[in-house]
Amino acid sequence: MTQLIHLLFFPGGLFLLALGMGYEWLDRKLLARLQNRQGPRWFQPLADTVKLLSKEEIIPQGANPWLFIFLPVVALAGTLTAALYVPLFGLPPAHSLPGDLILTIYLLSLLTLGTGLAGANTPNRFSLVGATRTLTQLFAYEAPFLMALLGPAIVAGSWQISIINDFAGRNWLIVTQFVGFLVAVIGLMGKLELPPFDAPEAETEIVSGALTEYSGRGYALFRLAKNVELVVGLTLVASFYLGGLANPLAFILKTGALLLIIVGVQTLLTRLRLDQTVGLWWRYGALLVLAQWLMIVLAKII
Amino acid sequence: MTLNLPTLWHDALEKVKTWARVNSPWLIHYNSGSCNGCDIEILATLTPRYDAERFGVKLQGSPRHADVLICTGPVTLQSKERLRRIYEQMPEPKFVVAVGSCAISGGVFDGCYNVVGHIDELLPVDMYIPGCPPRPEAILDGLVKLLRSLQDGQIERLETRPLAT
Repeated sequence: MTQLIHLLFFPGGLFLLALGMGYEWLDRKLLARLQNRQGPRWFQPLADTVKLLSKEEIIPQGANPWLFIFLPVVALAGTLTAALYVPLFGLPPAHSLPGDLILTIYLLSLLTLGTGLAGANTPNRFSLVGATRTLTQLFAYEAPFLMALLGPAIVAGSWQISIINDFAGRNWLIVTQFVGFLVAVIGLMGKLELPPFDAPEAETEIVSGALTEYSGRGYALFRLAKNVELVVGLTLVASFYLGGLANPLAFILKTGALLLIIVGVQTLLTRLRLDQTVGLWWRYGALLVLAQWLMIVLAKII
Repeated sequence: MTLNLPTLWHDALEKVKTWARVNSPWLIHYNSGSCNGCDIEILATLTPRYDAERFGVKLQGSPRHADVLICTGPVTLQSKERLRRIYEQMPEPKFVVAVGSCAISGGVFDGCYNVVGHIDELLPVDMYIPGCPPRPEAILDGLVKLLRSLQDGQIERLETRPLAT
């Protein structure tokens, strides 16, 4: 019974969807205020989702209909499952097992993989280019992001999210591992395809990337999955680097502050070309995190 | 796919759907042969000064994501097929807004050798916004009036009218 409540209402399911839409609104509103606009009303993401769900869904000719229908479901299911392993809303994770950090990160990648496959499935040149860019970007950010999250894991001596969260509650790792924090935040932005890493869905070049052919239900599910991933990603980075998440107040304050940083970067920078994105992560991000790893390991030995 | 629901539930569901449609109109903009004057005004409508996102308006790149087709200019022979294809790619329910004198009547291009005519000869138009070019305030006003008539149930067009050939 409690399992079912965990899955359907809290912390998974309905609560997570509502929280995801809330964070999407906060993101858009802050962006609008930084651009000197009024911005959307508070129910905007809900209205968008309901409208998309009530629209006609067109399955294009030449696409595999089963893949076309089920890929959005897989993407949303992956991100919703990942939320069960993180300290959402400052409460202990609903499920915990040794090594669930790796599991969570791979569940979060399901959204990107689903988007890429969805783009490759439809016979539209824009979605094909979008799929290529999505998957290229996946290979660029995934390793540095994973390495940045493994830094706290090495210090805490465990790959279990709840143990790292407790450890981070006693030490603010942003002070000792500042490089890791930077790479994690930027990796999160790449994961979510936010500007300046939105080359995979660049409207001015390739319409809307891999999701060009999706209308109605499929598009709504992909958007929801992205919102949930925003919440889960913010929770992960905040709990690892910003002194742990012990209660709901800390959760709201810390993820809110992190979102503010992300929105600021979105406003300041313009879109990077794909080769610049890949170069940024592999030439700087990955190398800096590797250097930091070396220092952590040396400090641990000594 | 049709669901057989009791009337009460059906009405409530329709109300929720209408509310969502009224509050989240996504646009796609197509120029079928205008002089670019109206297009500049449409872009000005979407700038931070007029901030159309207040009403939930977003400009989408893909016809598959859009609800409202904003067309400017007369329909030239070359863009006729493309305009119709964009309209047919949009998922139901969809609405068409004709912006500017040329889109309404053909304007100064009426009778040209390469012009088919105004938008209404090709697509079912739901809202006309006159002006040469209309100001951004007029475009926003037209959009809000379209949404209001949708809310009041004056536009009830879930089935597509047959297109002119």
